[in-house]
Amino acid sequence: MASGAGSSDAILVADDIVVRFETPEGSITAVDNVSFQVRPGEFLSVIGPSGCGKSTLFNVIGGLLNSHDGVVTVAGETISGPHKSIGMVFQEESTFPWRTVTDNVAFPLELVGMPKQKRVERARHFISLVGLDGFENRYPGELSGGMRQRVSLARTLASEPKILLMDEPFAALDEQTRLLLGDKVLQIQQQLKQTTLLITHNITEAVQMSDRILVMTYRPGKVKRIVDIDLPRPRTSEIVGSEAFGRYVAEIWSDLREEANRGMRDEEKCALRREERAS
Amino acid sequence: MTMEASPPAISRQGYSAPLVGLGSFIACLLVIEGLIRFGLLNRFIVPPPSEIVMSFGRLFAEENIVHRFFFTAGECLLAGVMVTIGGISIGVVMQRFDLLRRACETWVAAFASAPLVLTYPLFMVIFGRNAWTIIMMGFLSALPPVILKTIEGISGTRMILVNVGRSFNLTPAQQFWKILFPAALPTIFVGIRLGLIFALINIVGTEFLINFGGLGQLINDLAERYDLSGTYAAICFVILVSVVFFIALEKAERWLRPVD
Amino acid sequence: MAETSRLRQAAGSAPLISQVTLLRIVIILGVLAAWEFLAHSGWLYRDVVPSLLAIGRALIKLFSDRTYYFHLGVTAAEIGTALAIGGSAGLAIGLLLGGNRFLSKAFEPYLYYLGPTPKIIFFPVMIMWFGVGPESKVALGTLSCFFPVALNVAAGMRQIDKVLIRVGHSFRASTWQMVRKIYLPAMRHPIINGVRLGFGFALIGTLLAETKLSNKGIGFLIIQTYSVFDMPGMYAMLIVLFVLAIGANALIGRLGGLESIKRN
Repeated sequence: MASGAGSSDAILVADDIVVRFETPEGSITAVDNVSFQVRPGEFLSVIGPSGCGKSTLFNVIGGLLNSHDGVVTVAGETISGPHKSIGMVFQEESTFPWRTVTDNVAFPLELVGMPKQKRVERARHFISLVGLDGFENRYPGELSGGMRQRVSLARTLASEPKILLMDEPFAALDEQTRLLLGDKVLQIQQQLKQTTLLITHNITEAVQMSDRILVMTYRPGKVKRIVDIDLPRPRTSEIVGSEAFGRYVAEIWSDLREEANRGMRDEEKCALRREERAS
Repeated sequence: MTMEASPPAISRQGYSAPLVGLGSFIACLLVIEGLIRFGLLNRFIVPPPSEIVMSFGRLFAEENIVHRFFFTAGECLLAGVMVTIGGISIGVVMQRFDLLRRACETWVAAFASAPLVLTYPLFMVIFGRNAWTIIMMGFLSALPPVILKTIEGISGTRMILVNVGRSFNLTPAQQFWKILFPAALPTIFVGIRLGLIFALINIVGTEFLINFGGLGQLINDLAERYDLSGTYAAICFVILVSVVFFIALEKAERWLRPVD
Repeated sequence: MAETSRLRQAAGSAPLISQVTLLRIVIILGVLAAWEFLAHSGWLYRDVVPSLLAIGRALIKLFSDRTYYFHLGVTAAEIGTALAIGGSAGLAIGLLLGGNRFLSKAFEPYLYYLGPTPKIIFFPVMIMWFGVGPESKVALGTLSCFFPVALNVAAGMRQIDKVLIRVGHSFRASTWQMVRKIYLPAMRHPIINGVRLGFGFALIGTLLAETKLSNKGIGFLIIQTYSVFDMPGMYAMLIVLFVLAIGANALIGRLGGLESIKRN
């Protein structure tokens, strides 16, 4: 059941988002009439099969994709480009290899002209928050993948965004690292009361961390269901073993499976068509 | 090491970009022509493009440009043969004796970036003001890339192929001729291509500098005679030859490695 | 099998001078010995291969000659200026072409195919435009070094990890901030390589032009030694030139490389 929050206390409102792409094969609707709201301090995950348009949605909310129908507002302001209240964490490796961890994390502060002393102090605070004390003067090349993603996270948090927007930040990591990092992110989110919007394809991750989960259909991506996750807070990765957890995962998987199957069949059709055209 | 950037992609559809490029170039020529005719640009410094184009005919009729072209081409061919045989041999020897390779490979790499062509006065003393000086300049400047790529090609042979040879109990000589060398050929050809380009550049340059030979000497000659449009035309011709040569080498290399 | 042989080497005492260094010394000594033999053999016309002593004396004479440093300064200034002008132009054009697909397809082929052509043949044109002074040498040096810089920068732009650009945009960096804090650092390797090549070509172009027509500079001095048949002098100058050229090239490479030891 979709949980209604009075739009008066929502901090992020997505209203009727439609995104279409022109391809040589014709017009594709990636996202179709997606609407939802995020309350302050809430952790909302958007989950869906590959091809459901969730990364497109990520780019729309982040202001990197502006050719769409519908409106996204943050605290009442319409988004028409990257907004200062929204901090993005990307899926790919995005640390600057030529900067130390401190300089990476201080990057957004540098851009707004914060003096050096203050920048470094602020950066140290966030480096500590993500658990990378002692690595301030290392370069990303000397760190593991998980540590680099933590640097990216710290960098985004350093700009103190009202809304943290993450696109499958742990996709490239192994399962154990992912669970532990998920723990860390959860800890931080609860500590900072950070409003977070997480795009993911991983059900366990979504249930572990979220207050609500928005399930998307396969292309054209629509909102299939919004699920309230009523697990107690504060949460840790231990919750993964509980019965309630399992039930939520099963519930969402049954929704997702349908969509994932549609996705697979569609891919097979496309592959066949491509072969025919090539021969 | 040098311009190894891949050739820019020119899409099959969409000729608009190349056309814009060509169009801008022609537009520039027209603007220059206009500026000269209206006296804004001194025609004794920049001859009108129309005059330059007309001088081409003169180059063919009076200046024997075809004969000169073949002279320069001959020098390049000779230098090319020398550097192929010499460069590959040295590369093979260096690769074979690891200690030698470790000692000398960086030296060869250093010479690749050294201004070898500046030793031309020295070679003029040794060989005189003639074709051998020119050929030596081409040969020496082409040597380092051929050597380096030969070493790279042979050492880069996949272990699995070497092991296949071992499993057939091949002698070292057979191992070399039947497995290592053929496997290294594509890389070796890249070295030869680079070498030939350096050779041409240095050969034409040396011809210009010592005022002997084919095309380079023609440019020098026309310049000393103050034949402006002729000089410009000859320069254009040499650039054209250079570009065609470069494209031909690229095509040849691509033909040699269709799998890539 | 390979492991044990490596282990054996490590267990034994490490030699004071590695085998490689030893071989290098042997080769150098061998070449010098052969040279000296050739010099005294009388097989070649006198002084085409002068004795090492003569070359040594010429080197000392060179280093103690005031005017040599003057000419060195002239050449260095010409090369520096050529690199500055050609390098900046190359950087600007490279950024432009690398950042814009259309412009790249329209104009980059010209740069790519005109790059590997002999630039010294443009020297008569440079003289017509800039006169017989150092300006024409600088012009030729500029022309020579423009192409490798522009091409390397353009290629470097295209190879930047796209996500880094998105990071910059997501933090609302201005265009100038994007260039200074993201594009340029991300391209430091291609830029250094381009500058290295550019330096090499500027050096060659400028010096060759000096040998052709000049009354100043190292190129001029080299041709002078040719015209008076001062072979030891010519060898001395060529040796110094090569040492400086290779040294400068290594220095530029180090500037780029030192960073990458840590950062990449």
